[in-house]
Amino acid sequence: MFDTETEGARIELRALTKHYPGQPAPAVDNVDLDIPAGELVVFVGPSGCGKTTTMKMINRLVEPTSGEIRIGGKDVLSLQPDELRRHIGYAIQQVGLFPHLTIGQNIGLVPKLLGWPAARIAARVEELLSLVNLEPSLFHDRYPRQLSGGQQQRVGVARALAADPPVMLMDEPFGATDPITREHLQKEFVRLQKRLRKTIIFVTHDFEEAIKLGDRIVVLRERSHIAQYDTPAEILARPADDYVAGFVGQDATLKRLALLRVEDVAPAGPPQQAGLPQVAAGTSLREALDVMIAHGSDRCSSPSGVLTYTALCGAVGTGRPSSPGREPEAVPSLPAPEKVVAGGR
Amino acid sequence: MNFSEYVVSRWDTLSLAAAEHVLAVAIAIGVAALVGIGTGLLVHETPKARNASLALSATILTVPSLALLTLLIPLTGLGWGSTLIALTAYALLPIIRNTVTGLNGVDATTVEAGRGMGMSRARVLMKVQLPLAWPLILTGVRVSTQMIIGIAAIAAYVDGPGLGTQIFEGLSRLGSVNALNATLAGTLGIVVIAVLFDLFFYAVRQLTVPRGLRVRH
Ligand SMILES: Nc1ncnc2c1ncn2[C@@H]1O[C@H](COP(=O)(O)OP(=O)(O)O)[C@@H](O)[C@H]1O
Ligand SMILES: [Mg+2]
Repeated sequence: MFDTETEGARIELRALTKHYPGQPAPAVDNVDLDIPAGELVVFVGPSGCGKTTTMKMINRLVEPTSGEIRIGGKDVLSLQPDELRRHIGYAIQQVGLFPHLTIGQNIGLVPKLLGWPAARIAARVEELLSLVNLEPSLFHDRYPRQLSGGQQQRVGVARALAADPPVMLMDEPFGATDPITREHLQKEFVRLQKRLRKTIIFVTHDFEEAIKLGDRIVVLRERSHIAQYDTPAEILARPADDYVAGFVGQDATLKRLALLRVEDVAPAGPPQQAGLPQVAAGTSLREALDVMIAHGSDRCSSPSGVLTYTALCGAVGTGRPSSPGREPEAVPSLPAPEKVVAGGR
Repeated sequence: MNFSEYVVSRWDTLSLAAAEHVLAVAIAIGVAALVGIGTGLLVHETPKARNASLALSATILTVPSLALLTLLIPLTGLGWGSTLIALTAYALLPIIRNTVTGLNGVDATTVEAGRGMGMSRARVLMKVQLPLAWPLILTGVRVSTQMIIGIAAIAAYVDGPGLGTQIFEGLSRLGSVNALNATLAGTLGIVVIAVLFDLFFYAVRQLTVPRGLRVRH
């Protein structure tokens, strides 16, 4: 249907507007937006700002009042809506699994609509259940009501992925789960997207979630007006205005640390140095800082080398630039590492 | 003659009347289910048509059965025809109402999920809403059945089939030989038929309600 079959396709919105009948103002007002192929773009904004409406216009569950939508260069408004939707993955907060069908039948629904042969559907369902970490032999024949909320959300994601669509629309898909399950689902999802490289529009009102998941974030204000469209790091470092800064909150630097990993920072010493607190190379700088504070140390060691507090500050562009003649270990607010490690044990 | 002797001596008449009673109810409920569910499917989304069909079927139900049967005589004569039409008409309201309620009661997000996956409106209706509404629709059919089993007795007034004849004959000859036995036999027969129909619907429910709706949470 779109130029690309399964890899992400580019999405373009032009002057997109939705004015619900009987409403004083448009819910979505003249939105222009380009979403690069293969990127996960998060729409974040307060409840009622038009996120869902903007998303639903893309698969035409809501018909635009005016404007253009292109996916992979194709004019979406000229396509047959049911046919269009079979090529766009769709996952929602309430999941909306069909309670009278088994998990296998729920996941296999779109492939069935597309007329895949039964054997191919069966193989695909198995593959998807594994992909979302649900043991196929256990879950295939169960019914939605027999699953926990988190398991249902995973089935919802698997169902959206079923026909391997180039584009996915996800409307607060993890919104209804408890914080622990949500965090787990988010981590899994990030890993999944690294492999799949779909073009994904992900709606949330949770800015933390937006930072964790997004390649880019669109911060929306009322009527879906774009306040800022940029990478999470850029938005955290340079919020466009007070409105965006309000979303970012007081702990922007900590949030930026969460985006970087220990292995991203140039090492200040050999790998796995003994006597220092150890972290994994993939640990976020925020977690590494947590470890350093917990051990009262100004440095920690990882398989990719030693990370110092100064280097950590440098990574987010804060703190004093380290002068060449001076070892950056004497950070006044933190005790020296040797003392700490001894005290920590 | 005591009651059991009466039943034994009139077994042929009684069993034929009972069979006719069952048949009349079965035909009427079959037609009413088809018409009622079909109407429900057609009107459930359109407020005007929905209200009109519910109001019409409710109005029918307020007409006393004796009056309706009498009114039908000039049109469809005495006997089976008028009986079946009256029974079918009375059975419609619970079926239409439960069909409409069931279809509209399906979670809006479930319907939206179906549409969002590229199922057509008709497909969502038949493959999602109808199966999910089915337990409620079946309840409507069951309620209608119980109701018209009783009404069918009154069909005796238009010379209709069924156990009503026994009851009314007995009542009209009260005090004479076997009058009480006849009334009792007719009434008990109807109770037995009602129980049998209920058992039948229990079986239908077990067989047709999707397993996913019956599993524990
Ligand atoms: N079907 C509808 N009819 C009328 N107004 C609607 C409809 N859907 C949403 N709206 C209105 O449009 C605005 C945007 O809603 P929505 O897109 O759901 O926002 P969000 O997803 O950001 O919470 C809200 O003011 C909402 O009340
Ligand atoms: Mg929303």
